[in-house]
Amino acid sequence: MKLFTLTVMAGTLLAAVTQAATPNSGHAGHDAHAHHTPMQAETVDHGHSLFHLGADWRTQAGGPFRLEELAGRPTIITMIYGSCTTACPVLVNDARRIDRAVPEAIRDELQVVIVSFDPARDTPERLADYAADYEVDPERWQFLHGDPADIRTLAAMLGVRYRDNGDGTFDHSNVVTLLDAQGRIVERNEGLARPVEPIVEALVKLRGTRQAAGMAAW
Amino acid sequence: MRTLLIILTLVLPPAVAAEDAGIVLIGGGDWELPIVREDTGAPGRVEDFLLDVRQVSNADFLDFVRAKPEWRRDRAPGIFRDARYLSHWPQADALGVGNAAPNRPVTHVSWYAARAYCREMGGRLPTMTEWEYASEKQRDTLSVAPEDYAHELFSWYANPGAGALRPVAEGPAPGLGIHDLHGLVLEWVEDFQLVLGRGDDIDLLTGSCGDTARFLPEFDEAHYATFLRFQSRSNYQPDTTTSTLGFRCAYDPE
Repeated sequence: MKLFTLTVMAGTLLAAVTQAATPNSGHAGHDAHAHHTPMQAETVDHGHSLFHLGADWRTQAGGPFRLEELAGRPTIITMIYGSCTTACPVLVNDARRIDRAVPEAIRDELQVVIVSFDPARDTPERLADYAADYEVDPERWQFLHGDPADIRTLAAMLGVRYRDNGDGTFDHSNVVTLLDAQGRIVERNEGLARPVEPIVEALVKLRGTRQAAGMAAW
Repeated sequence: MRTLLIILTLVLPPAVAAEDAGIVLIGGGDWELPIVREDTGAPGRVEDFLLDVRQVSNADFLDFVRAKPEWRRDRAPGIFRDARYLSHWPQADALGVGNAAPNRPVTHVSWYAARAYCREMGGRLPTMTEWEYASEKQRDTLSVAPEDYAHELFSWYANPGAGALRPVAEGPAPGLGIHDLHGLVLEWVEDFQLVLGRGDDIDLLTGSCGDTARFLPEFDEAHYATFLRFQSRSNYQPDTTTSTLGFRCAYDPE
């Protein structure tokens, strides 16, 4: 029953997003005008946004959270499990390294999301301890607890594979992903302790392109 | 669950309704996947689960798309499906003939769409372990010789028959009462992206020949035939849709 309710909610969200994207759909027909001024790309194709997921999460503070709340600002997102002592601390640290490496004006607006794929052990309370260990800004950093099916969906969207080994450990991919303000994947860092530059540069470029086009910051 | 049974009864052509509509309980047990990732030393455990006796048909999926129009091919967000999603239907909300006929297995569906369908039915996709377990139990029940199983699979792989698919659940249900586990279309499972090592460094596509050999506990035809199924799954992305890939749903016992 709970699953059904979630599906209905997801459906409502998707319908809303689809409707919002509709006004641009007739634009292709204008290509015949040689001197046509291109429209700003601001509202085009949100089809590849992670905000379509439509799942309910809980943060380390215990409150409800939905990915759509990330809209309007860029986000660094990665997936871990809390009792992992090998790759996961490196992944969280990689996100923190990126966070520290971006220019301050961008950092103030950057959001970081760490999603656990071990919801049985990583309760919001435990994620709160985990977050405290990393001494990160709780306003900008969210550690998310979710439903197993939603975690699996999000992992698929991010290209993260994981497998519960049944002994408290998981095999998993190591990926840090940059989302733009519309929830689309801009850059992926695969592997551990990778150079931060590709994501930092993508962020700076994203900001610069939009400023040059006279658009809102993100 | 009741909704599922009602829907199945409504959409099936009268000739195959009633007796074939429904789900079957698969009794659990200690079991390991036939493709060994690594020697864990302890047998895995499969819990009891329920499985659709037949693959989801075009008619079933049309009902779903009508109830959830956000899954129409002209509305589903691009992140959830590639460009060929439901492309074999003549219209976004209408079926046709041949592979688009109501009683043919639905194909050109992404993993996301298959999961959304099963969730709507109060179920989920079977896990890879559950699906393979059901397949092996069905073979055991029917006493299929390993080489017969292998030869049947090889001939199907060589000619998957996507040009003209048969109706779902045609003829009597063998063994456990499950139709078309092999020979009609391949099926999505929840965890199709089998993780074989720490991280993405080793999987079925990037592993060397030595890795491939390591995954096979026995080097007979049957294991190799099964291995090919695992390998094809590894080739999919979650938004992939193809003419030879459909699904059925599983459910947790009440």
